Amino acid sequence: MEYIGEQLIWGKLGNAAIIASFTGALLSAVSYFISNFSKTDSEKRNWIRTGRIGYWLNSISVISIFGILLHLLFNHRYEYHYVWEHSNNEMRMKYILSCLWEGQEGSFLLWTFWNVVLGNLLIWLSKEWESTVMTIYAIVQVFLASMILGIEVTDTLVIGSNPFTLTRLHPDFINMPFTQMADYLTKIQGRGLNPLLQNYWMVIHPPTLFLGFASTLVPFAYAIAGLWRKKYTEWLKPALPWTFFGIMVLGTGILMGGAWAYEALSFGGFWAWDPVENSSLVPWIVLVGAAHVMVIHKNKGQSLSAAFFLAIASFLLVLYSTFLTRSGILGDASVHAFTDLGMQGQLLVYMAFFIILAIVLWVRAMGGFPKHETEEHLWSREFWMFIGALVLTLSAFHITIFTSRPVINKIFGTEWAASSNEIHVYNMWQLPFAFIITGIMGFGLFLKYKKTDGNDLVRKLAPALFTSLIITIAAEVIFKYKVHEIPYLILFFSTTFAITANLDYIIRILKGKIPKAGASIAHIGFALILLGALISTSRSKVISENKSGVDLGEEFKNNENILLPKNDTLQMGDYFISYRGDSVAGVNIYHKVEYFKKDNGVFVKAFTLHPLIQTNPRMGNVSEPDTRHFLGRDIYTHVTYDSKLQERERERVEGRKMVDEEGYSIPTENLLGKGDSVFTSRHLVLLDSIIPITNSAELAQLKLTTQDIAVKAKLRVLSMDGQDYIAEPKFIVRGNFVEPVDVKLEKLGLKFSFYGIDTQNNKVKLKIAERKDDSQFIIMKAIIFPGINILWLGCLIMILGSVLAIIHRVSRKNANASY
Amino acid sequence: MKRIHIILIIVIAVGIGVVVTSITSASTTVTFDKAFANEGKEYQIKGVLDKTKPIEYDPIKNPNLFAFYVFDKKNEERKVVFNGTKPENFEHTDTIVVTGKAVGADFVASKILTKCPSKYTDKKGPQATQQGVEPKEKEFKAVN
Repeated sequence: MEYIGEQLIWGKLGNAAIIASFTGALLSAVSYFISNFSKTDSEKRNWIRTGRIGYWLNSISVISIFGILLHLLFNHRYEYHYVWEHSNNEMRMKYILSCLWEGQEGSFLLWTFWNVVLGNLLIWLSKEWESTVMTIYAIVQVFLASMILGIEVTDTLVIGSNPFTLTRLHPDFINMPFTQMADYLTKIQGRGLNPLLQNYWMVIHPPTLFLGFASTLVPFAYAIAGLWRKKYTEWLKPALPWTFFGIMVLGTGILMGGAWAYEALSFGGFWAWDPVENSSLVPWIVLVGAAHVMVIHKNKGQSLSAAFFLAIASFLLVLYSTFLTRSGILGDASVHAFTDLGMQGQLLVYMAFFIILAIVLWVRAMGGFPKHETEEHLWSREFWMFIGALVLTLSAFHITIFTSRPVINKIFGTEWAASSNEIHVYNMWQLPFAFIITGIMGFGLFLKYKKTDGNDLVRKLAPALFTSLIITIAAEVIFKYKVHEIPYLILFFSTTFAITANLDYIIRILKGKIPKAGASIAHIGFALILLGALISTSRSKVISENKSGVDLGEEFKNNENILLPKNDTLQMGDYFISYRGDSVAGVNIYHKVEYFKKDNGVFVKAFTLHPLIQTNPRMGNVSEPDTRHFLGRDIYTHVTYDSKLQERERERVEGRKMVDEEGYSIPTENLLGKGDSVFTSRHLVLLDSIIPITNSAELAQLKLTTQDIAVKAKLRVLSMDGQDYIAEPKFIVRGNFVEPVDVKLEKLGLKFSFYGIDTQNNKVKLKIAERKDDSQFIIMKAIIFPGINILWLGCLIMILGSVLAIIHRVSRKNANASY
Repeated sequence: MKRIHIILIIVIAVGIGVVVTSITSASTTVTFDKAFANEGKEYQIKGVLDKTKPIEYDPIKNPNLFAFYVFDKKNEERKVVFNGTKPENFEHTDTIVVTGKAVGADFVASKILTKCPSKYTDKKGPQATQQGVEPKEKEFKAVN
């Protein structure tokens, strides 16, 4: 059959580019690999040249795939499954990039794209390391290219998932009726992007995170090259600036994810220790540890095995994280893991290859490491840096073990799952770790390499210790930490100590020379992040407590949602809030929630928030909080339920209007004889009598002639309060037309329609409609997060510090090179 | 004993501590019979929402009380009570993972994780729509 309107050329081009990217990477990997064994310089140069050509072919192909996929998304080419699955016509174009990396194929593409960028930089910069470092890069590119190949080896074994698969040929839709229609393209519409991802953070978070992942490969590749070429110490110098770069980018990427969770998700916070979040945090922690032991070795010649171990582990943990989030294994443990695309085996091979490679090279190199006999002095900088790196490793180990429960279950057949108390258990370990690390961050820089005099140290640290003690006491006055919360207070002290000590170091020791202060500034930033996290999580307060709810006992004291009827004012914490109704903009329904403060008994409007619900009939509605930012605290407001929307949803499902314009519900149809009665939800309706209208004055009033028929039903309505009401709906036949005259009892919210007569049984046909209470309401949750701006500020400062450290390292490197 | 050995011992101790807490703090995925045999102990249960039974949620009475019925793997059905609001589009849920404990005849959940079948893996296929008209499923049938 000829299908109408398909543009197949793009898929063909795309697939050609995929094949080319795979071939290029393979060629590059093989050539670079061989170049390591070349006997002569010219032979080596030739192989390297071929390796570069292969890598460039891979680079051009990857960029082409990217471009083609973007083109298809922009033009809504739904004949391609990836485009159908991740976009539709209604979504805003600014989120088209999010569509690109919503799926597994797209995010692999993003990763391989960053490897293209970094790999080309390394071709240019790595000089004598190129042959080995680029072998690793090219091998990674081979694996990544294979993830989007989509080649069927046998019926059951498919390598990769191809982003250019046609919708009508996709295995899920085989034999679907639409595949038999020549003009199916005019009829289909894309499935659309998950509403949660239609957020600006989702445009920038994934690229940043994947650049972070890609940059962990640099220290890994250098470490492997060091082991391979038995240059056990030389690899550190070129790898170190890249390690700092990785820390900066990956750290930023992770925090952007946190910002997304905070602003767009209903977590009620920026970090939930979700397995997916954790699995990107762990490589970062290990990379930080790696950078520190690398610095120790560069300065003192110790901790070489630790430097190798951590630099290698960081990338291997990225692979492990990839496996966790993409194999579908976290399905029951996390809300935002990818679903299984049947690539579990392939991901395992990818991971296993590099683990085995690292082990083999490590074992080969064992005993060959330069020995360093002298033990560090207890009060030396290198000793405490080492301890810091060790604690970081333990912290990473803890998170990994906890995150790996689904894997452990799979291997050992156990059935462990996260408890509802999981966050508490995480904090129980991570709080002491954070305490030790921030403590070391505080005094570490005041220690000299080799040996420091104890008395001297105390004198140097005194100002910072004193200042942070004062600040901690002030914090206790403000935040009122209770006895069981003393760990928070201790961490508060150690983080403020880390901040003040590093500030002191910049001012007194470095004499304000900012370019040299990269490490201190980055440390201040990191401590600020911890401090902000500590304050905002330990002192976040749900102010939307619902006190009227049924008490479920101490253990389930979780009444965090408040019901807010429209135009009612309720007290919530220090505020009085009022729901003013909703407004619709596209798929979003905004709820106007006004916050008031009471000032001398008078309500003063403080601010207005517009938490929204994004309607999406295909994937489910998603509500997005709105947050009012103040310098010291945020007020977060999240709508969890909208009565109007629920009603509308019911109307959609049942396919009819539930209420008319005046707010009356669908009427009930009743057949009543004289003296019969019927209950409405609040009233009793009794048919008193059926009275034909014969009175000529009354007929004239209705403009009827004597040929017409007019009957009225006299209804008695008894309300709960015991009062009697009378209603007289009329049934009129004017000529050939039936013309009922409805009667409303506004006060009772009832509407009667006398629409027919059962002449055989002498009964009246009566419709009764009740007015729904116009009690539109929302249920919302409001949380105050104090001090969260400290966290975001810390992030910016950490980036600044890292940039300074990189510039410092690179310029020192160049200075050394020129000697 | 060198300092490095002391450090090593501490590291190993912490490592063991981490592994032990990961086991002791975990809840286990079980079926209802186990949870109700050990009333008050926390478990995780994976099951399927019973769509024939009512989903009870009356926000006007109590917005933080929500109840529904779940079949576990052994096809035993229990009422699950959750202390919170009804998640969006709960009716569309298929598989559901609840963490909580048995209290009396009900399973009181403190955490629910819903898996909406349409969220990530929509097996329904493209629905043909024409300029906002309802899905033309009849047309498909006609062609078939």
